Amino acid sequence: MKTKFINGVLGIVIALMLGAIVMWIQGYAPFETYTALFNYSLGSFYSFTTMLRNSVPLILTGLSASVAFASGPVNLGQPGQFLMGALLATIGGLYLDLPPILMIPILILLAMLGGALWSGLAGLMRLWFKMDEFITTLMLNMIADFFTYWAISYPLFDKEAYSPMTPAINPNGWLPEFGNFNTNIIVMILAFIAVWFISKKTVAGYEWRIAGQNSLFARLGGCEIDKNYLKVMLLTGALAGLAGGLVVMAGPHRFLKGLGANYAWDGVMIAMVANNGILATLLYGLFFSILQTGALGMELITDVPREFIMVIQAVIVLVVVAGRGYFNILMDKIAVRRKAKEGLE
Amino acid sequence: MNVIIGLINGMITGATPILLAALGGTMTYYAGIFNIAMEGMMLGGAFFAVLGSYYFESWVVGILFAILGSLLMALIFILFSVKLKTDEFVTGVALNLFALGATTYMLRQIFGVKGAFASPGIVPIPDIDIPLLEDIPVLGQILSGHNLLVYVGLIATILCHYLIYKTRFGLRLRAAGYNTNCLDTSGVRSDRIRTISVILCGIFCGLAGSFLSLGYVTLFSENMSAGKGWISLAAIILVNGNPWGIALISLIFGFSDGLGLLLQQYLPSQFTSMVPYIATLIALYVYSSRKKKEKFS
Amino acid sequence: MDNNDKPVLIDMQHVVKVFPPDVVALNDVSVDFRQGEIHAIVGENGAGKSTLMKILYAMENMNAGEIFYNAKPVHFQSTGDAIANGIGMVHQEILLIPEYSIWENVVLGLEPTRGFGKLDEKKAIADVLEKIDEFGFHLDPLALVKDISVAAQQKVEILKLLYRNVSVLIMDEPTAVLTPQEIPQLFDELRRLRDNGHTILFISHHLDEVLDLSDRITVLQKGKMIGTVTSKSTSKKELARMMVGREVIFSSIRKPCQHGDTVFEARNICYRDEDKVERLKDINFTVSSGEIVGIAGVEGNGQFELVNTIMGLITPQSGSIFVQGKDITEEPILERRKLLSYVSQDRKTMGSSASAPISENMIMTHHKLEKRFQKWNGLVLNFHEVTKFAEEIRKRFSVNMGAPGAPFQSLSGGNQQKVILGRELSLSSPFVLLDQPTRGLDVGSIEYVHEQILGMRDQQRAILMLSSDLDELFRIADRLLVLYRGKIVADLITGKTTINEIGYLMLEGTIHEN
Repeated sequence: MKTKFINGVLGIVIALMLGAIVMWIQGYAPFETYTALFNYSLGSFYSFTTMLRNSVPLILTGLSASVAFASGPVNLGQPGQFLMGALLATIGGLYLDLPPILMIPILILLAMLGGALWSGLAGLMRLWFKMDEFITTLMLNMIADFFTYWAISYPLFDKEAYSPMTPAINPNGWLPEFGNFNTNIIVMILAFIAVWFISKKTVAGYEWRIAGQNSLFARLGGCEIDKNYLKVMLLTGALAGLAGGLVVMAGPHRFLKGLGANYAWDGVMIAMVANNGILATLLYGLFFSILQTGALGMELITDVPREFIMVIQAVIVLVVVAGRGYFNILMDKIAVRRKAKEGLE
Repeated sequence: MNVIIGLINGMITGATPILLAALGGTMTYYAGIFNIAMEGMMLGGAFFAVLGSYYFESWVVGILFAILGSLLMALIFILFSVKLKTDEFVTGVALNLFALGATTYMLRQIFGVKGAFASPGIVPIPDIDIPLLEDIPVLGQILSGHNLLVYVGLIATILCHYLIYKTRFGLRLRAAGYNTNCLDTSGVRSDRIRTISVILCGIFCGLAGSFLSLGYVTLFSENMSAGKGWISLAAIILVNGNPWGIALISLIFGFSDGLGLLLQQYLPSQFTSMVPYIATLIALYVYSSRKKKEKFS
Repeated sequence: MDNNDKPVLIDMQHVVKVFPPDVVALNDVSVDFRQGEIHAIVGENGAGKSTLMKILYAMENMNAGEIFYNAKPVHFQSTGDAIANGIGMVHQEILLIPEYSIWENVVLGLEPTRGFGKLDEKKAIADVLEKIDEFGFHLDPLALVKDISVAAQQKVEILKLLYRNVSVLIMDEPTAVLTPQEIPQLFDELRRLRDNGHTILFISHHLDEVLDLSDRITVLQKGKMIGTVTSKSTSKKELARMMVGREVIFSSIRKPCQHGDTVFEARNICYRDEDKVERLKDINFTVSSGEIVGIAGVEGNGQFELVNTIMGLITPQSGSIFVQGKDITEEPILERRKLLSYVSQDRKTMGSSASAPISENMIMTHHKLEKRFQKWNGLVLNFHEVTKFAEEIRKRFSVNMGAPGAPFQSLSGGNQQKVILGRELSLSSPFVLLDQPTRGLDVGSIEYVHEQILGMRDQQRAILMLSSDLDELFRIADRLLVLYRGKIVADLITGKTTINEIGYLMLEGTIHEN
């Protein structure tokens, strides 16, 4: 636990330092840039709550990837499941008219259903036809991308808009906001607790974790691998779909073109730096949100384009993950040297 | 007739970037590396191709830059996955995102635009008319007049086949994939073979990238590789890395690309754009069910 | 032959090796090898034999010590470096590429070429043929390695080294993969090589063959050097004492068995694999309660498929399997596990999850079959019971372990096997399937495992055990079946047959040859 924490912090510091060097070479002031970045994501109640709101889709898609990877399935379909979840929630929001107390839960369920349908499709292709989910989910991402693009360009198109988007959903389906504090955070925390409980405490979660580490062992031990596989795919799809639905319900309240583009691979990246740990996913999700939210401020104050943060994120992933492996080797080396020196009585 | 010739030409054009990237990927495939970074290498190549072509007003420099840009990605891959033994999958994903972020960032920093950079100043890679052949009706229209890199792709296929199956390097390359320990104990550093394979992959992906931005179209746009790296990975897996098999599969994907364009008269463009990805799913289905049949008959 | 007068070729001094984090594999070992001798290195599993040789071969680096070669200090950078200096090693597991032909395997790394890096196939094949003839190996250079026998593959490994003009050959347990009949042939070849001036270093824990083959013998025990003796001046008993530090009794510990009813029955099982090769041919046998049935056979003669058929990983094309009269041929694995316990041959890939906690490794299968591990209608795990159960197993099987929450990989090999046995034996199943239950364990642990197996027999369970160690089968099995090319070619009472007879059956499928 402690070494994990040290490794994470060290990796982030190294990545930020590499970023600082690149900025410095290009003639920017690294220190001011980072100050602006953290100011715009943590510096005030407004920026802090904005950061929290932005962290929701990151954490949920991250949990989706973490649970999938830790249980075996290489579900890389978060972007597609996200879009399908958002689309279903939007459709519900456009055609249903119920009081908020019913409307909001129903839209949330629709979002999860949308994501689960899309991941379930990949799951069935695997179970029925032995098609690897690692490629099918990727292809389904592209297909979902074009499909939702079509949906918002034609059948659901807002006639008054200039670019592809749907009309706003029924306000009864909007997530309540207190000041700048959006309740999408509460939904995310509930989902987080549920995922943690399923993974750590239930029989199914136990089997998933074991199967993720050694599927043959779990199979020979009597775990129903196929059933578990489908369950994991459905759950992780639902999580990504939920992320999509919440983005619509908390933010623009409609489906805009490019809605999911910002979160495309972030979930997978977060799961990777977090080494598929549930709590670590939450923490790294928050950190990535700090970076992304602050990127706007960084661009405003110091002219460093916010795309720079995308580069920093990738570098963090590489440095932390490589560091994790290397750190262990290093610790082993030190231990061996000590033992060899200690005298071998 | 013209429709068919158009379709065939579209197929060849669509197949080329996938073929080039997949030939690169097959090197790492044989070396036993799970390389999913073709997407990022291609994207890096595509950006640098435009950079070189625009500033030096020469497509030759464009191609050279593309190869250098893609090699830069390959070197990062080597540093992490071969030297530091970082998980290949993680390295690949991170590298793809790094390429996406870095090219988008540089697009803004260097060209000062968002989304896409197009300019008459970018010199495209020329089409090649083959003497004599071009005069033959129909056949000439099909085989002649393609982009230079189309012919490079053909030559590369032949060279790859020779390299993998006939040379000393090929014997060692395949050995690295089958059993690293065996190769190491035979006195060949498997790390070195892996490194070379990634470098070769970088060169091919650079060519593929330069075709995207200087051949197919003459511009660079954000994320313009658009999953082509993944499709070439699928192509490699479908034919177990055989270069001629890759050429065939690439043509099929190229055909689906061309078919999509043709279908645009009848369907919204969003659906026709899906065609290559659906084709990949179908190809995967055929592959898997064939394998299943072999297993249980 | 007395070779005290032969010059010292390799001298290893004060070698220390520690494996992460703190396993001392070699503790100040000093040993010398002379030119042109066959020198055996013996010791139990984990004594450090292979590690010592891998250090000489530069496959592992040492943490302290020196190596002198021809009286000069050397420090090989890589195995390639060692080979270039004339030292080569044949590993315990075959390190060849099955998809390559013999000649490709032999020349790999030292390939003759023509221009443009093109392989000179003709020259390569001719060179390999020349070596084959020179050493009388009877191999076809064009054959694919996957199509030849294990004994032949071993020859290819040796050939590969001879092609590199190696003068020191290290052999790591070469007989482990051979049948009793193939061993003398290998020994003849090794003796011939020695007489040609090669030095052979030979790792083994079979004392009979060590005494038969070698000139001198070095004994290691738990990473420490015990001593070097000449074969002529020692005995099996003395070596055994040096190896384990106590007297070892080589005898059967079977008691006459009390047969009960038939518990397990395999009826007419046939299985063809993906390549349509017949792997199991009309397999018929039964196991009764209170009986241990052993299956002997050279690896790759259908053991893998038989076990997988019983476990439900593969479905046979015809035939049925019954346990207590219930047909389980097409049942899912969970249904089978209600009736059978299973100890797999590979702890790592089949029997455990290395990074999961010990306790979670212990409750596998139990968590499905026993209500006490579940609450909330079977949805949630009862962790209170899990911890209690871990404690029970720790006590009953005297597992030396830390907290039940520690990762499984923190246990030593012997303790890992105890956890697995504990898990499987505390299932209340009537039938027990054991696939190489003692592979990779030290002598003490093997004895323990054997006691547990016999204990189960006394509980009137039906036990089927596959083993490649004939001594083990003779020690505890009541009945022996021999698998040969997917067929059961013999069904013999252990007391009424001999190791030699079983060896012939394993190799030829019949005793009436010659």
